[in-house]
Amino acid sequence: MSLSRSPTPPLTFSVPFRATTADAGANGRRLLLHLPSWSWKSPNLTAVTGGGRGGTVRCMANQRRVKMVAKQIQRELSDMLLTDKVLQYAVLPEASLGADRYLSSLTTISGVEVSGDLQVVKVYVSVFGDERGREVAIAGLKSKAKYVRSELGRRMKLRLTPEIRFIEDESLERGSRVLAILDRLKEEKNIPEGQDGEQLEPLNSPEEDGDGDRDDQDEGIIYIK
Amino acid sequence: MTKAMPRIGSRRSGRIGSRKNGRRIPKGIIHVQASFNNTIITITDVRGRVVSWASAGTSGFKGTRRGTPYAAQAAAIKAIRTVVDQGMQRAEVMIKGPGLGRDAALRAIRRSGILLSFVRDVTPMPHNGCRPPKKRRV
Repeated sequence: MSLSRSPTPPLTFSVPFRATTADAGANGRRLLLHLPSWSWKSPNLTAVTGGGRGGTVRCMANQRRVKMVAKQIQRELSDMLLTDKVLQYAVLPEASLGADRYLSSLTTISGVEVSGDLQVVKVYVSVFGDERGREVAIAGLKSKAKYVRSELGRRMKLRLTPEIRFIEDESLERGSRVLAILDRLKEEKNIPEGQDGEQLEPLNSPEEDGDGDRDDQDEGIIYIK
Repeated sequence: MTKAMPRIGSRRSGRIGSRKNGRRIPKGIIHVQASFNNTIITITDVRGRVVSWASAGTSGFKGTRRGTPYAAQAAAIKAIRTVVDQGMQRAEVMIKGPGLGRDAALRAIRRSGILLSFVRDVTPMPHNGCRPPKKRRV
């Protein structure tokens, strides 16, 4: 696991045993840590030592900082998608040819989730376009995950640059389908009854957060295209 | 200017351009400016003269909810509604900026029945010009 270039804090000795999820620290391997007497006075990290097992240390940032880091990572990644040539070429291979940037697919970062210890970042990517464009975009992004990680480490000042995983996000498209169905229902309702004043309000809830709808709530709905 | 001189010729040519229902525009350009906090959708004709605009803020959202994708698509529907009556069938979309409004507004435009001819990204890119603002520290 590569480290960022800040001067090595004592925490780095615990990096090899920290698994990707924070829960694994409870039954992780034993490692003798020599924590110095000047314990770090960082207000953002709280060290939790597991009892009696030989010093497993989990550092959880407080929730507010996790949110700030997530927002900042989203900004940086979106900016990278717009400006960085390597990433653009990975997402959209014909971008290197066209002069005026006529796009066949549009990639947007719809959400970022950071784990509690700021080590794993899940990036939800939404692609607008046909099926092939979507596959090409997601495959391109996944192949450039390490490059993105190093770029992020260069742009942001974090103690340890997190591991980045790209996940395809279908919630925007699902929400759009639901709204299309609702519109269609509204029209069908208006036409047989003439022009009565009753209006069907489309539901706001499925689409407030792009990344809030991980679970499939509308399984019974027939999908139209 | 003290008093408008009653010159018939110039007044007539000035009036026609500003009347709203005089123009029939079959093809237009939809500009979507999607920042992180808001989305602004402007519909112009091919030459760039603005026909109508709507934003997430004018669609009844305030504060942090303006930046959400649902607000962007509500703004897109609101902007298109005024223009569909004027007979716009085809449109080209120009997208500027990062933000969730890019995707959501595009989907709303496609859903609304207007034919999308091209999608272009016109985010302003300096050839290393002005100094960007300082980096945010987290």
